[in-house]
Amino acid sequence: MDIWIAGALIVTLFVVLGSGLWIGLSLLGVAIIAMELFTQRPVGDAMSLTIWGTTSSWTLTALPLFLWMGEILFRSKLSDGLFKGLAPWLNHLPGRVLHVNVVGSAIFAVVSGSSAATCATIGKIALPELKKRGYPDNMAIGTLAGASTLGLLIPPSIIMIVYGVAANVSIAKLFVAGVIPGIVLACLFSGYIVIWSLLNKDKIPAPDAPTSFAQKLYASRHLIPVVSLIALVLGSIYSGIATATEAAALGVGGSLLLSLIERTLTWASFKSGLQAACRVYCMIGLILAGAAFLTLAMGFIGLPRHLAEYVGSLALSPFMLMVLLVGFFIVLGCFLDGISMVVLTMSVLLPTVEAAGFDLIWFGIFIVIVVEMAQITPPVGFNLFVLQGLTKRQLSYLGWVAFPFFMVMVLMVLLTYFVPDVVLWLPRNMR
Amino acid sequence: QANWDLPTGYASNTFQTENVQQFADDVAKATGGKLKITVHSGASLYKMPEIKRAVQTGQTQAGEFILSGLSNENPLFGIDSIPFLATSYDQAQKLYTAAKPATEKLLADQGMKLLFSVPWPGQSLYSVKPITTMDDFKGTKMRAYNPATTKIAQLAKAQPVTIQLAELGQALATGAAENFLTSSASGMDSKLYEQTKYFYIVNAWLPRNATVVNKKVFEALDKTTQDAVLAAAKAAEARGWAASRSKDAAYVKDLTKNGMTVAQPTEAVRAGLSKIGDTMIQDWLKSAGSEGKTIIDAYKKM
Amino acid sequence: MNKLVNNIYKMLMLGACLSMVSAFGIILLGIAAREFVWDIPGLDAYAGYAIAGTLFLALPSTLRQGDHIRVSMVLQKLSPRAQSILEYWCLGAGTVLSSYFAWYAIRMAWISYTFHDVSPAADASPLWIPQILMVLGSLGFVVAFADAFISHVLGRPFFQVQDGEAARTE
Ligand code: NA
Ligand code: NA
Repeated sequence: MDIWIAGALIVTLFVVLGSGLWIGLSLLGVAIIAMELFTQRPVGDAMSLTIWGTTSSWTLTALPLFLWMGEILFRSKLSDGLFKGLAPWLNHLPGRVLHVNVVGSAIFAVVSGSSAATCATIGKIALPELKKRGYPDNMAIGTLAGASTLGLLIPPSIIMIVYGVAANVSIAKLFVAGVIPGIVLACLFSGYIVIWSLLNKDKIPAPDAPTSFAQKLYASRHLIPVVSLIALVLGSIYSGIATATEAAALGVGGSLLLSLIERTLTWASFKSGLQAACRVYCMIGLILAGAAFLTLAMGFIGLPRHLAEYVGSLALSPFMLMVLLVGFFIVLGCFLDGISMVVLTMSVLLPTVEAAGFDLIWFGIFIVIVVEMAQITPPVGFNLFVLQGLTKRQLSYLGWVAFPFFMVMVLMVLLTYFVPDVVLWLPRNMR
Repeated sequence: QANWDLPTGYASNTFQTENVQQFADDVAKATGGKLKITVHSGASLYKMPEIKRAVQTGQTQAGEFILSGLSNENPLFGIDSIPFLATSYDQAQKLYTAAKPATEKLLADQGMKLLFSVPWPGQSLYSVKPITTMDDFKGTKMRAYNPATTKIAQLAKAQPVTIQLAELGQALATGAAENFLTSSASGMDSKLYEQTKYFYIVNAWLPRNATVVNKKVFEALDKTTQDAVLAAAKAAEARGWAASRSKDAAYVKDLTKNGMTVAQPTEAVRAGLSKIGDTMIQDWLKSAGSEGKTIIDAYKKM
Repeated sequence: MNKLVNNIYKMLMLGACLSMVSAFGIILLGIAAREFVWDIPGLDAYAGYAIAGTLFLALPSTLRQGDHIRVSMVLQKLSPRAQSILEYWCLGAGTVLSSYFAWYAIRMAWISYTFHDVSPAADASPLWIPQILMVLGSLGFVVAFADAFISHVLGRPFFQVQDGEAARTE
């Protein structure tokens, strides 16, 4: 029975999305149909209550503000400076400034707990520059799609907080556990860029003229504004002046200040940046609202719970369990966002996972990586949505160029399974 | 054959949720599966602040929430959270008995029926630095999350800082917060012992969760099922209070095991806090009016 | 008529921008308040309301600018006639869904008002007041979808989409 409901819902969602209906409204519509058909609950009231609760929550405030920060930086010379400062150093690495996507995402991930915000900010800065420099679109967009999911794995991370509360494991330890896998995954992404570039030498633009070490160092002065902005945001978090949520507001303030100093801030650029930020947030927010209601509908129908119960009833070996869970979350990730996936399934899955002998910290990192994968699989993948907003490309194209990075993450999951110390070494040796 | 959804904001491994789950299992057993209650833990259905309204408007049949969360709506809901009024399980039980008719009436006026109500362990003081006199509070950053905790911080001459529970660990680590009141249970659940060193058992108040059902839904059940639900609710309440008591003792031990210094507050601190309590009872009485006074008087006579 | 609805979109967008700036200001105020030992209760709740205001008030303008994303892959492969028919479905479904949403947004604010629902956080504000933002925005969304639908019937342009290529290279 459940499998038929699940199948019917997925098909309906695909059809409605394919018909060209706006994505947020598609999710809303499918949720309404699902709830009307499979529950006896008053649908409309449940919808408005849930959507209001989700969209007016304090934890969400960081996302729009980081989006705004990205728009301000995009209109300043800061992003240009980032490339000017980094390009000489990356000149000899195969793939050259494509690595800015990875490095930039990894650095921004230290500031932001969300992968959509990371994707939007770095994308706004890096994509136009990469285009201008003649890098192929598929790699420019794909690397960004993959690397920006690091926002979840490198602390701070919203999803780790959600998991930590659900699984009753230390959020501080989870954060620490994410550090090494985050760095390793960033290296794997860069590694993929290197291999791809060696195989496709003709597609990478020619290197700039070679520069001496002193020249490289001198070019790095362009990085000072970016570095000071990151230092401001990070410093405010780690000195206790601001919480991770509030740091976004300091980021906005800092970017405004910096563009004021370098005289790129005009009334017109302020206005257009603000309006663009409102529209991008509105686009993402409408989808978030639809996803929140679809999550509620799923909760009422009990679909994720029943599927998770089914997985638990199979009594699999740890390895097979892990493989099945990856598949399970990839399927769920097709139509739910990451946080909802965790909230809806953890109470049912955790006993199974514990019985199979998985360390709950390790499993938290596993979940985060799997959720990262879900961010870049169509039809519901928030990083793809952000990228569609940025590039106006089709979801199918975006899903396709992100696919190699999806596979890199599969590799990462296997790595953490066979070498669990990648995850567990740091938290074990904490204090 | 009826199915109820029962959302709760608390994770499935808290003793409150375990108790609610046991209640659901008992009901299923007693009614021979005629009434099946699905517990949705960890805010997986509705988030904490939405649950009461979801029950009230019939979006879900039943729900569990913390009563003092409604004190902005009516101060009587917050009677269990007046600081230093009832500071032990016995006192909390008396206060509950005194306030129960009023609470039930308030909920009934909003279309809900109280099934059972179980307290969290007492709200005690966690601190990064030792606190032996009231002066030790002066200028420290004390976490506040509602009007009452803000007022306590102000009266203790500390600086109230608003920080969400999810961000509390980080705030403590970075010095954005230095002390706060919460239960031994939350301290274990949120692993707050990682950032704080001192735990003073002040039991400022024992806030209660309430499990409620939509009145119309309840009345639609046949008499036998209604009785089965009420019997299970009565058992759940007794079991919950006992569990809260024994868990509190166990949690306090666990906090010690995790390296916290657990102590009773000094005489000076106790006196200072109870002075704060007197001020806050007066404030509460002002806002709750004669109905509140009747309850407090009845409680004091018990 | 056209001018009126355009002004509605503009006013709502202005409201969205003000909401975003307010959220920014409120959070900065919160940081400052913690540093300088004032107590301003309920700031985080206000920031949440402001951010909700940004989302809902920006809905019509975002639709008009073509920033709400959709899967247009199938649409683009069809003949112009089939495209036009499918567009009727999309705009029609959009009008219906946004009306459904607006209706229940109004109902929620109304219930909050009649139930005297107050925020459980330190702000203790009556919830119907911030919920008005959701009502206004969702009503504007309905107007925008109806406008788009009528424009499609009359063969008038509604969307002011920047060219995709331009957006990619801007
Ligand atoms: Na992060
Ligand atoms: Na996905």
